[in-house]
Amino acid sequence: MAERVFITGIGMITAIGDNVAGNLHHLRLQHSGLGYSQYIDTIYKDVLPVAEVKHASESLFPLAGIPVKEGYTRTTLLGLAAMREALQHAGITDVQSAPTGFINASTVGGMCDTEKLYFDIINPEKNGSFLQYIDTLDCADCTQRVADIVGFSEHIATISTACSSSANALMFGARMIKQGLLPRMVCGGTEALTRFTLNGFNSLKNVDKQFCRPFDQQRTGLNLGEGAAYLVLEGESFARANNSRILAELSGYCNTNEAFHPTSPSPDGDGAYEAMKMALAMSGHSLEEVSYINVHGTATLNNDVSEGKALERLFGENVPLFSSTKPFTGHTLAAAGAIEAIYSILAIQHGLIFPNLNFSERMEELNISPVTTLMEGYPVNHVISNSFGFGGNNASLVISKYEG
Amino acid sequence: MAAISPQSTFEGDIFSAPMVHTDSNLLSCIEPDYKPFIPGNSLRRMTRVLKIGLTTALKCIQDSGITTPGPIVTGTGKGSLQDTEKFIKEIAEYKETALNPTPFIQSTYNSVNGLIALQQKCTAYNNTFVHRGFSFENALLDSMMLLQEGASHTLTGAFEEITKEHFYIKSRIGFWKEQPTDSRALYTHFSPGTIAGEGATFFTLTGTPSSDSYAAITGFKMLYKPTAEKLSVALKDFTTAPDLIISGRNGDSTYEHYYETLDQCFQGIPQLPFKHLCGEYDTAGAFGLWLAGQMLKAQQIPQQWFPFSTEHLPANFNSILFYNHFYGEQHVMLKLERV
Repeated sequence: MAERVFITGIGMITAIGDNVAGNLHHLRLQHSGLGYSQYIDTIYKDVLPVAEVKHASESLFPLAGIPVKEGYTRTTLLGLAAMREALQHAGITDVQSAPTGFINASTVGGMCDTEKLYFDIINPEKNGSFLQYIDTLDCADCTQRVADIVGFSEHIATISTACSSSANALMFGARMIKQGLLPRMVCGGTEALTRFTLNGFNSLKNVDKQFCRPFDQQRTGLNLGEGAAYLVLEGESFARANNSRILAELSGYCNTNEAFHPTSPSPDGDGAYEAMKMALAMSGHSLEEVSYINVHGTATLNNDVSEGKALERLFGENVPLFSSTKPFTGHTLAAAGAIEAIYSILAIQHGLIFPNLNFSERMEELNISPVTTLMEGYPVNHVISNSFGFGGNNASLVISKYEG
Repeated sequence: MAAISPQSTFEGDIFSAPMVHTDSNLLSCIEPDYKPFIPGNSLRRMTRVLKIGLTTALKCIQDSGITTPGPIVTGTGKGSLQDTEKFIKEIAEYKETALNPTPFIQSTYNSVNGLIALQQKCTAYNNTFVHRGFSFENALLDSMMLLQEGASHTLTGAFEEITKEHFYIKSRIGFWKEQPTDSRALYTHFSPGTIAGEGATFFTLTGTPSSDSYAAITGFKMLYKPTAEKLSVALKDFTTAPDLIISGRNGDSTYEHYYETLDQCFQGIPQLPFKHLCGEYDTAGAFGLWLAGQMLKAQQIPQQWFPFSTEHLPANFNSILFYNHFYGEQHVMLKLERV
């Protein structure tokens, strides 16, 4: 019988908080992190809202726990800040104390910094310390910088499946534990806002000039965000022997591909339906037992129809409470799956259902609408967290209350 | 298996194909005719690495004879460099307005995976690893876990391209040799750096052997930034004497000492390096594995590709140790056996 996989530590940084407590505080207060960029060099600075972490890169170094030096991208610094908290929260002072793997996720690596230097990098007449950023062009750079500072050496990997990247990182880590390859894994993702990505989504006409309105009839697109989040996963036998404090159980997961279109989901949500259904089946829980769904809910025209249809198909008349937390954090791409997995744990721990901000009008295609006010004292036992990405990549996680 | 590489690996008999060489320090892929694999209207939009990745994947499916699509797992260190470069430039050139989204979409690292799934109508598991010299290897690990979990087969591969611009970028941090080097004489030109390469390689993996199987993977280990001692211990623990070693040696004097460790651990075992055939890139390990698979199945070595080899090569071989590292950071060992 494969090991159960428990979550024993969490750490994060987003536009609404530098740590888990800060995020919880602003979720409760219903304070959105959306605003206008201070740090990206773009003509859309005052036009397209983003959910930016409220620190210049230089001031992220103390949070990352390292002295200011060249070669550390914003992606890496956000990752380190979240990593420090996750390890501390799990009571890990030395990751070498037990064999521990690190599965990271990133969509564009150090693009946030390299896009500012790229034309110097390719210009033979320019020379200087910017050359130290050449290696940060790829996605492995942030993973290895974090790994080297924290001391991971056992197994490292970086996953990039667009917006579902860190959900897949969690899944991969959990599977390595279940196969007995390693007893402890730290999994998640890190994402910094870039002009590259902002222009990418804007060229797809997927970005809302207003604050995003998931599942609303008038929605016109997403807002990008940035952040990082990591979860410490432990196999049951290790967690018990180690006397770890168990926060929740990663009880189910599924990755499916929709094979429909390079960037759009199918109108009936075939991939989302399949991913949720299979993840729930793996968890061994019934449809009725699902207390809350933290939906992908990007507020793009296509996603919300597709995901909403999938919810109606799977749950029929009894769709559980659901909301998108992207109006708080923006769409943090590779970090989104891990950030929302932590929000799912907070919902379970504190009996909270987070509101779907900016919702006012039900979509004409759907018979369901999201939760719009904060619900407290609500028993949350099993949460589905969805992350769907380009290339038809659909990932669903089931996170369950730990009951021994 | 299938491979598009700087050698004639996509079609025909590799045991008679002449060796392609260069003195430009950059080995480019021989691109096949894509039309039998990709419809013309799709082909026009696709950039190079998408074409070589998708075509190799489709050829691999043909080669395996498997008709039901299964999980698709790939690795790529850099994804579509052409598209990334193009989008960065268009953002600047058009001052962030009226941009064509295609290069952005295609620059996404999992775009090749998405295309394979789309073309094969494959709704199973789909994942992409992007970690330098561990990109393909994590895809391999993921695939082996999927087989353990009950998948009957996986499509597992890697793809990489080198552009002129990226070749220049990496030259600025010493990735390549400064002097033009004849690829055939790569291993005798000891100096910092190596030669660049590219390629796409795909495998169908199954949990049970058949008469068509190329090889069995019976051992697999990844080591991140090991010390010389740790590497030496790991290599000795990994396997007893294999019949043959395939190594990722690349004439780079900066990291040659790791291969010397390999030599010391397995003295007297014949060794074939492969980087003079494919060049160095994040996922070159996949090409090395492909070569090992070809040789194990055919019980033959493409002698014309190893003219420098003075060692006595075995007539029959049942086991191969594969060892490769990427700029001293990601080290990989695989044990392959004849089925």
